[in-house]
Amino acid sequence: MSLEVRLEGLSAHYGDTRVLDRTDLRLPAGSFTALLGPSGCGKSTVLNLVAGFVRASEGRVTAGSAPVRGPGPERGVVFQHYALFPWRTARGNVEFALKRLGLPRPERRRRALAALAEVGLADGAEKYPAQLSGGMQQRVALARALAAEPEVLLMDEPFGALDALTRTRMQHLLRALWQRRGTTVLFVTHDIDEALALAERVIVLGGTPGRILADHTVPAGSGDPDLRALIAHHLGSD
Amino acid sequence: MHATPSPPGRYRGRLGPALGVAGAVLTLWYLLARSGAVAPGLLPTPAQTAAALADSACSGALAADLGASLARAGQGFALGAVVGSALGFATGYLPRLSAAVTPLISFLRPIPAIALVPLATAWFGIGETAKRLLIAYAVLLAVWLYVHDGVSRVPVSHLRAARSLGAPLHRRFIEVLLPAAAPALLAALRYGASVALLALVAAELGGADSGLAYRLQVDGQFLRVDRMFAGLLVLGLLGVTIDLLLAAAGRRLVHWSTS
Ligand SMILES: Nc1ncnc2c1ncn2[C@@H]1O[C@H](COP(=O)(O)OP(=O)(O)O)[C@@H](O)[C@H]1O
Ligand SMILES: [Mg+2]
Repeated sequence: MSLEVRLEGLSAHYGDTRVLDRTDLRLPAGSFTALLGPSGCGKSTVLNLVAGFVRASEGRVTAGSAPVRGPGPERGVVFQHYALFPWRTARGNVEFALKRLGLPRPERRRRALAALAEVGLADGAEKYPAQLSGGMQQRVALARALAAEPEVLLMDEPFGALDALTRTRMQHLLRALWQRRGTTVLFVTHDIDEALALAERVIVLGGTPGRILADHTVPAGSGDPDLRALIAHHLGSD
Repeated sequence: MHATPSPPGRYRGRLGPALGVAGAVLTLWYLLARSGAVAPGLLPTPAQTAAALADSACSGALAADLGASLARAGQGFALGAVVGSALGFATGYLPRLSAAVTPLISFLRPIPAIALVPLATAWFGIGETAKRLLIAYAVLLAVWLYVHDGVSRVPVSHLRAARSLGAPLHRRFIEVLLPAAAPALLAALRYGASVALLALVAAELGGADSGLAYRLQVDGQFLRVDRMFAGLLVLGLLGVTIDLLLAAAGRRLVHWSTS
């Protein structure tokens, strides 16, 4: 269950300022792509364009065969600060995503618990976000996004606020979930090592206005010091 | 600009010191009244005040005044709170609407309700309508501002998350915007209730034939200081009671809020 995402001649402006300049990009169905770049280079803008939160000033985004006109449940989003609803328990947050499907209550509950179990949070189902650590909250957010069965998963520096150990654990979890589900993933980060640890492909974004500076395929097994040096070079030279 | 009322829970665990201060004030009051430092007849003792209070309670005057005042304040508050909340949600959610009406609110806000009493009387006479509308107006402005502020602070990511999870407009309102703004809504209602009491007094002093503030005015004309003290005591207790009730309701309704 995954869709191809295409950016075609995509530009974005905030007021009169161009922040993204006629960008083309194709994310094959089921691929895992990291969007890497320094802060302020337009990574979130790209992600928000694909999510449908922000409108393009030129060009367009398509998901599968349909042009993106706004947010939609086939494109799930995981936010940096989780964006969990603090008035709902972990299970309640996941059930929010399931309501659309019109399932009977027990079935909805069963699926929400299964989604939480999938991210390793079976025990925390009845806890409120404020009672959970940052890593656990991001697990709930991941479960909520995945429960809606999106075909594209958009993640904006989702592990940026986590400590190193939790971050590594979340990276393993995300890799495993992706391998199981085959969802198309676009993962925004400013951390080279995170990009290399997770993605099959690393796109370097930079410049003002933002554009694609480099596009690297990450060989399986990764850990290639030359590739890391090359990407660091691209990152530094904008 | 506007001070946020302290969060619910401020009374929790503070009863001991509060009772201590109340006792000290009572003692000072008693000593002052007995010392003869104040001209006779101008400062009743606590006992005289209590007697005046018991008197009006037994005669039924207190219940009648309390009923009249509560009906006015309650109806005015309900109308103002409903309209003010609706406006607050609308302008808080729609920035363009907000930009259009903010200058108007900034202009109206500094005009105290009491300044509007003559106008309300001219328009609606000295009947109940004028009083209710005056209270409603004062509450409306207060509640509007607080709710607007709360709604406009709802994190964009909450609304975005809801949209990308496929929630239609009515679900985004009921399941996201409403609970996200609930703490602000409750603060708004508490503040609105205190404003309703202020406007009530202004409205009754502007001409009434019943009510707690009307009674204060009558007692003032007869220099019944003991009764005036009793009336002020009732007004104060009324305000505290309403605030405590709203705060307690708030703690239950927005249990997740840490503020
Ligand atoms: N809502 C906005 N209004 C005005 N400018 C914005 C807005 N959002 C982002 N920008 C600007 O657009 C540029 C790209 O921002 P963003 O996409 O958030 O970058 P990144 O995610 O890479 O840090 C930055 O210069 C930022 O200041
Ligand atoms: Mg960003």
